Amino acid sequence: MAQITLDVFRFDEAVDVVPHRSQVTVDVPETTTVLDALETAKAEVDGSISFRRSCRSAICGSCSMNINGTTGLACKTPCNTVMDKDGVIQVDPMPNFQPMKDLVVHMDPFWDKYTRLKPYLQPADRDEDHATERRVSPEDMKKLVDVANCVMCATCYALCPVVSVDPAFAGPAAIAYAYRFIEDVRDSKRDERIAQISEDYLWLCAHCYACSYCPKHVDPNDRIVDVKRAAIADRVMMNERGPRHALTVNRTIRQTGMLDETELILGTIGRFNVRGLLKVAPLGLRMAAKGKLPPIFLKPIPKVDEVRTIFDALEVPVA
Amino acid sequence: MSTTLLPEQRAGDAHKQTKSSQSKRYGFFPGCVAKESCKELFNSAMLLADRLGIELVELTAASCCGASVVNDTNRDVARVLNARTYAQAEALGLDDVITICSTCTGHMRAANKELLESDVHMTQANAILGKFGARYNGTVTVRHLLWLLIDDIGLDRLREMVVRPLNGLKVAPFYGCHIIRPESVNGWESSRRPHSLEDIIAAIGGEPIDYAGKTRCCGFHIQLEKEGVATSMVGQNMRMAKDRGAQAVLTPCPLCHLALDGYQADSAARWGRTDLPTFHLPQLVAFALGVPPEKLGLNKHLIDPRTVMVAQELIA
Repeated sequence: MAQITLDVFRFDEAVDVVPHRSQVTVDVPETTTVLDALETAKAEVDGSISFRRSCRSAICGSCSMNINGTTGLACKTPCNTVMDKDGVIQVDPMPNFQPMKDLVVHMDPFWDKYTRLKPYLQPADRDEDHATERRVSPEDMKKLVDVANCVMCATCYALCPVVSVDPAFAGPAAIAYAYRFIEDVRDSKRDERIAQISEDYLWLCAHCYACSYCPKHVDPNDRIVDVKRAAIADRVMMNERGPRHALTVNRTIRQTGMLDETELILGTIGRFNVRGLLKVAPLGLRMAAKGKLPPIFLKPIPKVDEVRTIFDALEVPVA
Repeated sequence: MSTTLLPEQRAGDAHKQTKSSQSKRYGFFPGCVAKESCKELFNSAMLLADRLGIELVELTAASCCGASVVNDTNRDVARVLNARTYAQAEALGLDDVITICSTCTGHMRAANKELLESDVHMTQANAILGKFGARYNGTVTVRHLLWLLIDDIGLDRLREMVVRPLNGLKVAPFYGCHIIRPESVNGWESSRRPHSLEDIIAAIGGEPIDYAGKTRCCGFHIQLEKEGVATSMVGQNMRMAKDRGAQAVLTPCPLCHLALDGYQADSAARWGRTDLPTFHLPQLVAFALGVPPEKLGLNKHLIDPRTVMVAQELIA
C-alpha cells in the first residue's frame, strides 16, 4: 500500500468565480489506477469531488483528464507511473474544454465537430431497395477496424495545440472518424465528406503527433495523413493552401532535391496573390535585414536526377 | 541510461553504439533549412564538432528528408528518398547519420524503421535505387546531435570542456515535436517528460526552466495554412516560458527556431511581449565550449540574443 495525495482542481460553474484546489490523501496500492484512487477519495474522504467515469476498463472513454500536466484516461494510468517522489498526483480537467464541475468539462464543441461529419453510413441506395447484404472484403475492413476502436474520449482533442489556439479546427478525432467513412466502400459520399472535413481545416493539422498518445491506438495523426492523401487523389479543394503547400514541396524537391523555402512561400500563397504576399512581407523584410533570407535561386543537389527518378517511379503528384 | 522510458517503449537503435561513434567519424545530414535560412546553425554545428574532436562528414548529395509534408501526397516517397541518403552514407563507410533538425530526425528515423522492418519496403526502395546503381543494406542509424552529445560525448565530459559557463542564464528548452514523437519512432527518451536539453543546459552552466510548452508544437508546418494560428502557438508557448522566468530559449530544431524567432513580434498582440531570444543547440554549446561568439552567427537572429548575453556578463 502507498499513501497517494491527489491534488484536485475544484470548480463549480454554478457558484464559483475562480477555481481552487484540494488535496486528498488515500491509502491504495501504488499500482492502482488514478481513477480508482479518485473513487477511493470520493468514497472515503470527500464525496463532493466530481469526475466522469463508467466502465473503468478503457472502453467507455469517460474518464479522460489531465494527469500531471498531460492528458489520458485515468482508468488506464497506474499511480506509480505518474506520482512524484512524495506520492502527489495533480489532476485537472482536460484542457481545450470549459470546466463544468471539478474534472467534468463541457464536451459540446467536441460533439459538434463530430456530428458535422454525419457520422453514419450513407450508401447510394436505401437498405430496403438493396437486394443483398452490403459486403466488405477483409482487406477493406482492415483499414477501418483501428479507427472504429475510437471511444471518443477526446484525449486527442484536449492535447491538440491547434485546437488550443483556433477552435475552428475539426481536431484529430473528427478527422479520424471522417476517414472511417471516407474509406468505407459502402459509403457513397466520399468526396462530399472530404470537402466537408477540408472546410473544417483538415490541412491545419500541425504534424505535431500529440494525438499519437491516443489511448486506443487509433493514431489520428496517421489517419489525418490518409485523409489528405484521399483529398489529393480525388483532387478535392485543390486550390486551398494545404494542397498547394504539399504539392509545392513535392515540386521543389523534385526540381532541386531540396525544400526551396522561397518557392514554398510563393507556391503556397500564389505568386500573383499580392494581398497574401504583402501579409508575409514584413517578416520577409525583417529576415532580409538580418541577411537571413533563403536563396532566391536554389542550386540543385548533386545527382538530382536520382531524386527525379524516385519521384517518377512512384508517380508522386507535383501539381 | 538517462531516460524514463519503459524498455518496451524504447526504439531499438536510439542508444546504439555505432562504428561511427567509435571512430568519431559520422555521416552528417544538415537538412534544408540549415543550408538555406539558418546557415548559422550549420556553421555552429561544424565549429562544435571541431571543438568536440569529432568529424561530421556532410552527405552533400543527400536530398530533403520529406519534411513531414511529402507523406501528405504519397506514402512511399519519403522512405525511398531517405533510403538513397542512407545508401550514400554506407558508400562512405559510415553507419551513423547525425541530424541537427527535429523534423529530419523524426522523419528519417520513421523511414529507416519502415525499411528495416519490412522486406516489401526495402525491396521496393532498392528496386528504385537500382535504377541509378545505388543500394541500401540497412546498416544506418539516424540520431540527432543532441543524442550524440549525451550518449557519445557524455555530460561529464561536456562539463569538463566548458570554458565559458552560462552564469546561471535561465534557458527554456524547446524540443520540437519530431525529435520526441511518436515514441515508437524516436524512443530515445520519454516524450512526455524529456530532460536531455535540461541536462545540457545545466552541464554548460545555465539554469533550465521547466514549463508546459517545452514539448508542444511551434506551428512551423502550418505557418502558411491559416493566418495567425502558428503565430499564436508560438505566443502561447513563449508566454509560458517567460512566465516561468526564462531569459532565452534553446532548441535542437531550425524549424522551431524560425517560428520562435520570427513570430514573437507578431504574437505580442494576443499573448503580450515575450521577446525571448532563441539559440540553436550547437550555437549555445559551442559558445560555452569556447568558440568565439562572433563566429556563431548570433547577429542573424531577429531577436538578438546578444542583449541578454551582455546582461548576463557572457559577452562584453
